Amino acid sequence: MSDNVTPLLEARGITKAYGNVAALTGVNFHLNSGEIVGLVGDNGAGKSTLVKTLCGAHQPTDGQILIDGEEVTFSSPKESRERGIEVVYQDLALANELSVAENIFLGREMKRSGVMGLLGAMDRKAMYASAIETLHSLAIEIKSVETRCGLMSGGQRQAVAVARAIMWGSKVLLLDEPTAALAVVESDKIAGLVTGVKEKGVGVILVSHNLPQVHELCDRVVVLLRGRVVTELHRGEYNIDDMVSWITGTALHKK
Amino acid sequence: MNSDEVGVTKMSESDVVNEAEVSPITEEAFEIEQEQRSLEMERRLARRRRFLQRVQQQGLALVLIVVVCIMWVSSPYFMNKYNLLTAASVVSILGIMAVTETLLVISAEIDISIGGVMALVSVIVGLLVGHGLNIWLAAAVGMVAAAGVGAINGIITVFFKINSLVTTLGTFSIATGLAYVLSGTTTVQISGGGFGFLGSGYIFSVPSTVYFFLAIWLVGAYIARYTTLGRHIYATGDNIDAADRSGIRPNKIRMGLFIFNSLAAGFAGLVVTSELVSSAPQIGDPYLLAVVTAVILGGASLTGGRGRLSGTLLAVAILGVVQNGFALLEFSSYLQNLVTGCLLIMAVLVDQFVRRAEQ
Repeated sequence: MSDNVTPLLEARGITKAYGNVAALTGVNFHLNSGEIVGLVGDNGAGKSTLVKTLCGAHQPTDGQILIDGEEVTFSSPKESRERGIEVVYQDLALANELSVAENIFLGREMKRSGVMGLLGAMDRKAMYASAIETLHSLAIEIKSVETRCGLMSGGQRQAVAVARAIMWGSKVLLLDEPTAALAVVESDKIAGLVTGVKEKGVGVILVSHNLPQVHELCDRVVVLLRGRVVTELHRGEYNIDDMVSWITGTALHKK
Repeated sequence: MNSDEVGVTKMSESDVVNEAEVSPITEEAFEIEQEQRSLEMERRLARRRRFLQRVQQQGLALVLIVVVCIMWVSSPYFMNKYNLLTAASVVSILGIMAVTETLLVISAEIDISIGGVMALVSVIVGLLVGHGLNIWLAAAVGMVAAAGVGAINGIITVFFKINSLVTTLGTFSIATGLAYVLSGTTTVQISGGGFGFLGSGYIFSVPSTVYFFLAIWLVGAYIARYTTLGRHIYATGDNIDAADRSGIRPNKIRMGLFIFNSLAAGFAGLVVTSELVSSAPQIGDPYLLAVVTAVILGGASLTGGRGRLSGTLLAVAILGVVQNGFALLEFSSYLQNLVTGCLLIMAVLVDQFVRRAEQ
């Protein structure tokens, strides 16, 4: 985590204004590979605006976004995905009637070779095998990749969404409130999964209200308050109460 | 005194040890028990789900067998090669449209303008042939008009985000109205040029319409079951946001399905025109409800993402037997409506039960 390393993803001086209202003001942010960075803040602090700006759903009014040190502009989430930024949304964007494997391959199905491939036929066997391999490498326990997603628990579905992102070689994984709707046991499993993803060298941005989990998982925590980054907390140098006082802004008055 | 003290400390020590040993074990046991209980429940739910799914899938086959048996017993004319082929030929026209309508319903849209499209195409052909145009050219113009209606359905639904039931109700009215205006409510004789083959031709003594239906059905079933396009249609109907974010173009898919569904209706219009040897604005009337009934009876869900063409095939067969049987028994066609209505509601109820079992 030395400063000489070019960050995987960097935002410089991001400002986003809606008319006269500034949702973000001069936000600097960076993420290195193999790092989990927490993004916390009260409601309306600008977390979701920042996430949407980083993935191209919103365009910043001012400021730059760099990937591997190269400046980029995204006009849609599709473009950011092509550069390896994958967002796992709260609603997961899974098709419940399709199987696990079909969801993982949605929009990127493998075609069969030869005439059948020209006729648009899928190679189910290869897709299933590849999906099993990916799930296995992330230690995700799912009975069968032929199970329909609608029949699985929230945590399993979350895991499938993360596996899909990882499978398609994303370098940056943006998790938007991944554990908000999960049971405690499942929430722990997702924590394990995120750690596994980090070990693969992927950079993870974790947006969450679950402060104990952020404290436990994140190497670094960026705190937003009224559209500005008020502080960066590093692992082992703060406790949850510190984080709360930064989020509410009382830490500012103490100084 | 001393020994007492020792005894006390020993006691408390052993207590501590006991607590340390016991509590994790009971906790673990509790967890295991809970897990077993939830597994048991999961298994029971899965069993229930599988049972209901089987009812949904095989129930249709059962209904078909039952209606066939009833008709077989009730009418000596039913189980006869010529009668069955006639029945198949009649129901195939409905089947041609049911295939594309099923795919459209899987994508969470519906098209009820098909009756209007049939009428419009028929009248256009009649009008052009009346003015001396070659019959096949006239048919081609009719198909272009059908595609046009489909494109309008698609544009209004997809790009202006109007519910397709409303859109196609509107275009149904427009197409039917236009058909009546253009024809002046008269029928025009149409024959020659081999056009008769469409509606009343035979290959190996099987009516041509049956081949048309089976060909379209095979293509539809292949797409739905084996192709990436099929996955994309299901995903579009299931979760359009997910489809969009995966890089599928759900709007393009829905647009295409509307056009193909209209083309199928246009083709059915040509077939009926050929069969009747005349063009008329009222030819589409009996088909609209029958097609939608076949699709829903076949298990396609109006909320999208669900449906199989095997189900549609069975449903079309059931409707064919019921139609034919009731005609043979000289029952009123109103009674036939009553029976298909009951079947439809039963199909929807089973679908609901399956859904609830899955939650």
